[in-house]
Amino acid sequence: MSAGTQEHPSGFTRHGSDDYVANFSSSEREVLINLVEQIIELLGERRDNYDDDPLAAIIGITSFDSPPDDDVLMRLLPNAYAKQEDASEFRRYTESNLRAKKSANAMSMRIDLKSSSDGCVEVDHDGANAWLGGINDIRLALGVRLNVQANSHEDLEILAPDDPLRGVYAVYSWLGWLQESLIQALMDDAL
Amino acid sequence: MVRVDEQTKEIVEEKIDEAIKEIFISDKPWVTIVWDDPVNLMTYVTYVLMELFGFTREKAHGLMMQIHTQGKAVVSTGSREEMEHDVARLHEYGLWATLQRGDQAL
Repeated sequence: MSAGTQEHPSGFTRHGSDDYVANFSSSEREVLINLVEQIIELLGERRDNYDDDPLAAIIGITSFDSPPDDDVLMRLLPNAYAKQEDASEFRRYTESNLRAKKSANAMSMRIDLKSSSDGCVEVDHDGANAWLGGINDIRLALGVRLNVQANSHEDLEILAPDDPLRGVYAVYSWLGWLQESLIQALMDDAL
Repeated sequence: MVRVDEQTKEIVEEKIDEAIKEIFISDKPWVTIVWDDPVNLMTYVTYVLMELFGFTREKAHGLMMQIHTQGKAVVSTGSREEMEHDVARLHEYGLWATLQRGDQAL
């Protein structure tokens, strides 16, 4: 993956005042679609059963207030308070909205990728922010699976060729590079 | 006209002082804290702080460096409701944020 990306190191570039363009190879596009679909699936889990209370469904209050069991979900949907009691209360009123926002980012990426047959993705400022948040969620998820710590990059760089995590780390690094290119393009905008 | 003797007046004033003090204590601002995270890119944290709070690049960069070097930084202060809103927005972007009363030890 990392060797492949060096062959066309475009990443995102800014075109005009508010257009952000990236060209993906077919394998990069496939990897991205696969990852966003995994995130969408992950965020869709633990759907509440609103049969008893349609009003709660409309205003997005959920009956679950415990933190997610899964480490990845816990990182994507973290506690807002140190005190569990307050964190649970906050979660009850906000978690479904946060899931919806994150799913929307991932779905927006999926549509952009699916609708581009040649691998060229072009987004406006809002679309770029959806990609930024979406890429970040994937990186957070992979970071949990890779157990990325402040000083673990050196260990991850020297994973054995047959280590299954090696491929995951390559994707993780590539996404960091892709995200950085989009941030630079957006920051130029902010100048 | 009701005459109030000095002692009663003192007691009443003291009670009023206490009541006012209590109002201010309960209104003590809450704070939003962003914690250091090994995954989020430094430039990303800077960008999100600029985008969400309208900070200048210098201010956002300074806060990001504080998060990076000290493990955390207060990025906003205000009412509890306002801080809950800020934390929710930061979570949307994947930053690791919590809120607490400003008078609690960080």
